[in-house]
Amino acid sequence: MIQMLHVYKTFPSQIAALTDISLEIFPGQFTFITGPSGSGKTTLLHILFCSERPTSGEVIVNGIDVTEKGFKKVHQLRRTIGMVFQDFKLLRDRTVGENIAFVLEVTGHPPTEIQRRVLEILKWAGLLGREGDSVLTLSAGEKQRVAIARAVVNNPSLILADEPTGNLDDQMAGDVMKLFMALHRQGTTVIFATQSRDLIQRYPYPVIQLLRGKRIEDGIGIEIKA
Amino acid sequence: MKRSLQYLFVRAMKNMRRNLFPDVTTVGVITISVLIFSVFSLIAFNLASFLRIWEDRIEVIAYLNRKTPAVEVEALLNRVRQLGGVESVRYISPSDAMAFMETRLGTQKNLLEGIQPTVLPPSLEVKLHKEYRNSARIGEVVSQLKGFSQVEEIQYGQEWVELFSSLVHILRLTQWVLGGLLLLAMAFIISNTLQLTISSRQEEIEIMKLVGASPSFIQVPFYIEGMIQGLLGAGLALVFLFLLQKSVLLYFPLSMKVWFERIPILFLPVETLIGTLLGGMLLGFLGSFMASARFLKSGG
Repeated sequence: MIQMLHVYKTFPSQIAALTDISLEIFPGQFTFITGPSGSGKTTLLHILFCSERPTSGEVIVNGIDVTEKGFKKVHQLRRTIGMVFQDFKLLRDRTVGENIAFVLEVTGHPPTEIQRRVLEILKWAGLLGREGDSVLTLSAGEKQRVAIARAVVNNPSLILADEPTGNLDDQMAGDVMKLFMALHRQGTTVIFATQSRDLIQRYPYPVIQLLRGKRIEDGIGIEIKA
Repeated sequence: MKRSLQYLFVRAMKNMRRNLFPDVTTVGVITISVLIFSVFSLIAFNLASFLRIWEDRIEVIAYLNRKTPAVEVEALLNRVRQLGGVESVRYISPSDAMAFMETRLGTQKNLLEGIQPTVLPPSLEVKLHKEYRNSARIGEVVSQLKGFSQVEEIQYGQEWVELFSSLVHILRLTQWVLGGLLLLAMAFIISNTLQLTISSRQEEIEIMKLVGASPSFIQVPFYIEGMIQGLLGAGLALVFLFLLQKSVLLYFPLSMKVWFERIPILFLPVETLIGTLLGGMLLGFLGSFMASARFLKSGG
């Protein structure tokens, strides 16, 4: 369960990134967060990911109150969350396989399990046979698929995606969306931030719309006006 | 646990390979700093060892009144033998003293022609127990010898012993003050170069944080790296120190070499070598601890 209660976020420059945001997302739900640039989508995701602290309000992620004073187990919470970025954030000096294995190494999995799991996830992402390739040789769509594979290799219960299709053409964006759909079907909670109304309108999922840090009208993807 | 440590160690080694230039710079700085410190240690160690040899040879010469009757000498010798700190005592008659001087003068002994042995005073050559052969305790024996009416003057090279002892003391003090400052500078330099290394891996660290690496998992390889750099730097410094000592001795003039045959020039003892290596590791750890604390604290 994801909950935000009257969350405010003001940056030191006095810019109000989020104003009185409350929301509730149930386990296994696919939710779009949309709004123009600067509407607060990324800040909202970063607060859920604990890389930003809200100025005030309460945030509960996977049942844990991350705004509670003294909450220090950020790294443990992050092992239950997969984060996907528009700019992929892959290690450029590593191969496809190494980028995915990195998560499992960091979280202390044994080498045999790492090898098995990496191949399994590469197959799922349609990248089997590319494990030895440098990420520099991949197309943008392939890079994003590696990033998604990396985000889900640890079986997280929540996926936060920050404009994951923003850098991709329609064909590549479609391929990437298929992976998110597959995750959703497996029961993973997905929070997907995007500016693209075209993309949202193709799916029957709840949409939270933001404008200048405030939550405005909500809806269902296919019903959202262009 | 063992596997984790092994993994962290392997990662530290990989990190070092990936950031060869800053790592080599850090090792170089540590090497130079430890070398300077060790040069002081080596000089102080050899002077202290020289002082010990010298102290071992310390003797007290008690010159007797020329009018001391021969019959009193045996009783005096016995009384001196009873004194605390005296290992042995030998009577040197004027003729013995003359013979000794002739031996010392060698080919120039003709300088003594026409001089009667009676101009030289008889004396007692007093050897001290080991624990009394230092500038502090020698005075105890000397003051007791002064109590004998037959004793006119006492010589034991006190000024030299004290001067040399002070010199060693000053050198040791300089070593620790200068060394301390150097070590402090080293910790900062290591910290700064490691900070460069860490910032060059910002991307990797950011991703590690994203995928849920614990703070210790991120920091420990940097500590290991710092310790390896410290160990390598200190090790290289000791190798250079050894070579430096050998080459300095090689280029000493022949006249000094003869002198050094009597006074052995030593290399640092094993415990100092181990201490230096461990000290290097500790400094490397402190440097990386400071760097990672500054760098990794910032950002979620």
